[in-house]
Amino acid sequence: MSGPAAAIEVDGLSKRYGDITAVDGISFEIGKGEVVGFLGPNGAGKTTTLRMLTGFLPASDGSAKIAGHDIFSAPLDARRSVGYLPELPPVYPEMTIESYVSYVASLKEVARAERRDAVARALERCGLADVRRRVIRDLSKGFRQRVGLAQAIVHEPPVLVLDEPTVGLDPIQIREIRGLIADLAAARHGEQRQTVLLSTHILPEVSAICSRVILIHRGRKALDQSLDSLLAEQGSLEEVFSRVTAGDEAVPREAGA
Amino acid sequence: MKHVAAIAGRELRSFFTSSVAYVVLALWALLAATFFLASVIAFDSEVSRLQQFGAVEQLQLLNLNDHLIGSFLFSMWFVSIFAFPAMTMALFAAERANGTEELLLTSPLTIWEIVIGKFVAGGVFAAIMTAVAAFFPAMLFAYGDPEVGKTLAGLLALFLVSLTYVAIGGFASSLTRNQLVAFLVTLGLLFLVGLMIPQLVVFGLASDALSAQSALVEVMRWIGTGDHFERMLTGLIESRDLVYFGVVIAGFLLLTKTAVESVRWR
Repeated sequence: MSGPAAAIEVDGLSKRYGDITAVDGISFEIGKGEVVGFLGPNGAGKTTTLRMLTGFLPASDGSAKIAGHDIFSAPLDARRSVGYLPELPPVYPEMTIESYVSYVASLKEVARAERRDAVARALERCGLADVRRRVIRDLSKGFRQRVGLAQAIVHEPPVLVLDEPTVGLDPIQIREIRGLIADLAAARHGEQRQTVLLSTHILPEVSAICSRVILIHRGRKALDQSLDSLLAEQGSLEEVFSRVTAGDEAVPREAGA
Repeated sequence: MKHVAAIAGRELRSFFTSSVAYVVLALWALLAATFFLASVIAFDSEVSRLQQFGAVEQLQLLNLNDHLIGSFLFSMWFVSIFAFPAMTMALFAAERANGTEELLLTSPLTIWEIVIGKFVAGGVFAAIMTAVAAFFPAMLFAYGDPEVGKTLAGLLALFLVSLTYVAIGGFASSLTRNQLVAFLVTLGLLFLVGLMIPQLVVFGLASDALSAQSALVEVMRWIGTGDHFERMLTGLIESRDLVYFGVVIAGFLLLTKTAVESVRWR
């Protein structure tokens, strides 16, 4: 899972806001087809890291490659390779589901001739085919999240980046969205399986979907291990999490959650 | 620039799904009808007055272009100072409020494509508004014989002013996530460029505080929309006026691009 075959390569990535360091020299590599949980307490720097990887924020230091494309020297190619669901699904409330996903497909450069099929496929996979003419404003939070997932996969990117996709959902919606993400993660692009980087602070989510865990704490990488070996060596994810973040409450949190 | 059409198309569609487009267009048409009627009545009473005094020479000087269409378009320019802040307030502010800014900035497109796409959408809407305004002078061709060239020059002037105001309004919208703030900032900027600076010029010329030739007056005259607009209303299409509109539009688009980009500097 190293070298040019890696889906995501991150090397010493940092983000500073004035005196505050939100992300402090994070490095990791994610191989093609891996489903990785990006774990950490609120304010650990998860969102900031994902925003740098997806090209929304520039890094203060370090470098990163998505599917072999450097996010600094080839930003458009890097962005083409990512499907990204931010913490809040980036939707236009007045649009219908179908016209919105079709618009995103055109932004992501899905060829005009293939756009119709690509949109239909994404809606189908996210369970939105029957409601595709509904206006996004009228949707429940769970369905908005599905729309967010549909826009992330419409151009069939090799890498999916999902930022806390189940936050604010009710238990039934959480189960549905998790099932959906597990299905997306199992999808194949030709010979290659889908690569997923999923940020969350909900531990069962990681056990349910991911095969590997990267834990960050106060902007630094605290742990990077496959879920199986972690469970074998250290007992439970909860124990590891609480050990790493122990004594955290007394310390002021960094900015840039 | 391949995404410009997608950005502009979505912007126009959402503009017409929201009520803003219809409210702006309805008010614009209503005010156009009102000011056109007022211009017709003023023209008519001027004709009667001159006929009463048998002022044949002055009657011959009176014409539809200078004394009716010109004053109508001048009124519409005044209306546009209020119409365009409403039209442009959502352009960028809504993207921030929706969180869709993050979608745009993580898609494989350049910031120029976003800015130009939004400007094109505003330009299309400005063209629709100019066409609505053009309907009224067009009616005069059925009853009289205004000059086609002069009328078109006047409409072009109104359209160019509209494009300029779209660029200014887009810039104000790119500074905030709050559409009301965008509306008020645009209104302020348009008052400054459209009304206050021309008034200051008039004041400066009237009081001897500034001589007519002073550099300051010349600069203010150049910055204000009024001089350029009025010169085009007389049927003169001069390069210095076209350059003015071009420079102001390009300048504000550049400022907008910088403002959109600034999210990455934080």
